Amino acid sequence: MTDLPLAGFVAVSAVLLGIGLFGILTRRNFILLLIAIEVAMNSAILNFVVFGSYWNSISASSVEGQSVAVVLIGLAATEVAVGLAIVLALNRSRGSINVAEATTLRL
Amino acid sequence: MTALPWTLFAPELFLLGAALLVFLLDSLGIRRLELFGGLATVGISIALLGVLADLRFAPLAGLATVPAGNVDVPWSPLNASLVVVTSFGLIFQAIFLTSALLVALASLSRRSDEKGAAIFFGLLLFATLGMTLAALAADLIYLLLAIEVTGISTYLLVGYTRRDARGLEAAMKFYIIGALSAALSFFGASLLYAYYGTTNLATLGTGFVSMFPSPLGGATGIAFLGYGFLLVGIGFKVTAVPFHAWAVDVYDGAPSDVSAFLAGGSKKVGLFAYFVVFLVPILASQTTFVCPGGPTPTCHYLHSTFGIPLQVLFGLLAVVTMTAGNVLALMQTEMKRMLAYSSISQAGYMLIGLAVATSPAIAGATLQIFAHVFMKTGAFLVVAAVAGFGIGSRIEEWKGVGLRHRWLGASFAAMLLSLAGIPLTVGFVSKFVLFSAAVQAQGWFVWLAVAGLLNSALSVFYYARVLRVMYMERPEVGSAPVPAGAVVGGSDPPALTLGGIGVGRATAIGLATAAVFAFGVYPQPVLAGLQMAADHLVQLL
Repeated sequence: MTDLPLAGFVAVSAVLLGIGLFGILTRRNFILLLIAIEVAMNSAILNFVVFGSYWNSISASSVEGQSVAVVLIGLAATEVAVGLAIVLALNRSRGSINVAEATTLRL
Repeated sequence: MTALPWTLFAPELFLLGAALLVFLLDSLGIRRLELFGGLATVGISIALLGVLADLRFAPLAGLATVPAGNVDVPWSPLNASLVVVTSFGLIFQAIFLTSALLVALASLSRRSDEKGAAIFFGLLLFATLGMTLAALAADLIYLLLAIEVTGISTYLLVGYTRRDARGLEAAMKFYIIGALSAALSFFGASLLYAYYGTTNLATLGTGFVSMFPSPLGGATGIAFLGYGFLLVGIGFKVTAVPFHAWAVDVYDGAPSDVSAFLAGGSKKVGLFAYFVVFLVPILASQTTFVCPGGPTPTCHYLHSTFGIPLQVLFGLLAVVTMTAGNVLALMQTEMKRMLAYSSISQAGYMLIGLAVATSPAIAGATLQIFAHVFMKTGAFLVVAAVAGFGIGSRIEEWKGVGLRHRWLGASFAAMLLSLAGIPLTVGFVSKFVLFSAAVQAQGWFVWLAVAGLLNSALSVFYYARVLRVMYMERPEVGSAPVPAGAVVGGSDPPALTLGGIGVGRATAIGLATAAVFAFGVYPQPVLAGLQMAADHLVQLL
């Protein structure tokens, strides 16, 4: 951690967030959307690890960032499980998981 | 590090127990809607009584306090600084539980052969649990996690029928937006953590910079960016314009009972989060903090950095939200979509409280949220009940409903009049308190009250249009049966009792209607309690 500059990690997480948001806005396949959401979520997790490491290097009792990262990984997994359940139900009911085709609710 | 007594968490434990019991019975093969519904209703009622007892018996001004924020307190489940019991939070718990109780009561009247009753009531309990936990938050991460518990339960709740294509499509949209909102919120939280080195809500934004330099050179831009991400992320939950588009599709596509819960209940979690996250920096910019031992390099002021910009942002958000919601509601031809846009505009009124950020304004916004539970939950429940008579969600199908189903029509009229803010209803009282608080605050806040008043006048048009259709127009003779697509999914009432809508649903609608008038005529006890809670909150933060 001491060798690599903090700004590098922050840049990576910013890029991850950008990729995730771009994917969420442009992808039409629900599975790819799930992946994009995961990428965006992981940018936040990476941030917590990086900044947690920074605060930990200053005060050894501060382990908040790492703990939060672990919890968030669990949360992300839960979210994907729910997303996949919705994908399965959608695929059964209409035989397609293309988000752009789901337009019954527009008037 | 004093441990809070476990009895303070008795309401949550009852909700958790009821939820687990529902799923346990389901897996044992005991599948009776009355049983699940009864469990949910009893569990939520006990939790509500527990919360009311906490509010009544605990000294309203000092039940527990936010532990002094300390950067070096390690994050651990044993640390009491994760949760805090405030009267403000307890009032929100009561609001959430009331909405859940109305929905559970009404859902008792479903067809008893309906599949998925365990999923519905179990998820309803879990969503309510998440909401009540969120109301205890003293930590940003804890708050966002509790909101996610609600979020994940409600995504599934929207699509729980699994066969209804409209419900599934709504669930998909809700899920995508919810997950996006979670990612943005957590990213914002990570930036705030980077800047402050803590996630304690009372410490964030106070201006006490920690004892050590922030990474990234301590640029305040990082913190402001973090607040921006949180504003957008939670804004999706609140349905603030321009983050509102999903709400209309979801409320429209979800089963009406679920829409009632989303609009009346789970949306309020977002508003609570807005209050606890953003009031700290806003209030911190108005008061002068004294560093222990005077300002030193390790303790300096950053007040007034975020406060004014945030207030302006929320003022703009409030005006845009209420105006866009009302204008779009005017153009709707579907009842549920109109109610959804009306719900968005109501969120705009509530945001005024956050922009003004004085304790009367916070009390007014809370009263508005309190009133909205009865009005909107009740209105969606009536839509579900009316759907049981084969009357769809298009407004033109409602011709003569007020004459054919007198009690339902009268209840719906009461809800609409209250939403429009007509005197003698709770909607009038809450708007009056909120707008007068904005006027009292002077300055540019007066314009927020003016915008609110103009919007209230505008909203009368679309509510009155529905009333005219319901009471003045006669149903066409031999009017066409409801098109198959317009049937409100999963909420057809069962064997006809009590006016044909079922005892549970009739009770829920009756309670909501009674509350609209009772608190409209005699709001003093509630108002006094809210005022004390708001005062207390402002002092705490």
